[in-house]
Amino acid sequence: MDSLKEDLKKHIIEELNLEDLQVSDIDDDALLFSADGVGLDSIDALELIVLMEKFYGIQVTNPDEGKEAFLTINTMADYIEKKKS
Amino acid sequence: MRSITAYCQISEDACYVNGDVVAQKNEENPDSWFKQLYKDLAIEYPKFYKMDMLSQAGFLGSEFIKQTYPGLISSYAEDEVALLFANSESSADTDIRFKESYQDKGSPSPSLFVYTLPNIVLGELAIRNKFYGENMFAVLPKFAPDFFLQYGQIMFETGSKAVLAGWLGILEGKVEVSVFLIEQNKPDGLQFNKQNVIKCASPDDQA
Repeated sequence: MDSLKEDLKKHIIEELNLEDLQVSDIDDDALLFSADGVGLDSIDALELIVLMEKFYGIQVTNPDEGKEAFLTINTMADYIEKKKS
Repeated sequence: MRSITAYCQISEDACYVNGDVVAQKNEENPDSWFKQLYKDLAIEYPKFYKMDMLSQAGFLGSEFIKQTYPGLISSYAEDEVALLFANSESSADTDIRFKESYQDKGSPSPSLFVYTLPNIVLGELAIRNKFYGENMFAVLPKFAPDFFLQYGQIMFETGSKAVLAGWLGILEGKVEVSVFLIEQNKPDGLQFNKQNVIKCASPDDQA
């Protein structure tokens, strides 16, 4: 699970061009779309949907599901695990 | 009387402000040329990394002018600074990358898609500086000083107190960027005329 979270952070930094961030800067429970957290925006949300399909083969088609899944790194990792099991 | 009070030119390997070199590309630095310039500015604006090269070009040119002339933001009300930009490549540099993202890499990139219009750079400058005056981005066959003179005049006559203008030539590695500030009733600077627009805005002899 920990390596999945690390992978997720790496992909997010790379795909979303968060060049000012390191993996260690993103807490597992930091809110991804809060200015007090990682500060992602609506375009980043679309990139996360693309990222989920590209790297994990998961299509996020239900907006409500995506909203919950993309809260934090923890919720994203849980979502991936659940979809893969 | 209207004057060009500051100008910044960026080529593929050097950056000039008011004609003086302020930065030169370090070929041994793994960072891209624009990233090197961003770091030279010593500012924190993480959104820079998300911008395409066209927006980065406008951002860098305006930030170098602001460093030379810190009063730019505080001297004017939000709707008094107009933006007047042009190039002859539109957003082709990003259009090509977006096309590659879905043709070669399998999935269209949303973050590239949002930059597939040339006037997005104006939005980036407006957000960064709260410049909410008139704005125009024109795609022209080639650099045209008369466009800046005539359209700039219209902007002043319709209420703008300053015009941040620029030519942003970005395409597949080509960098021909000029950003210049036009103001009214300033004793310093170059008179806002065709000859000086060519001097400040034309990165080479294409005029």
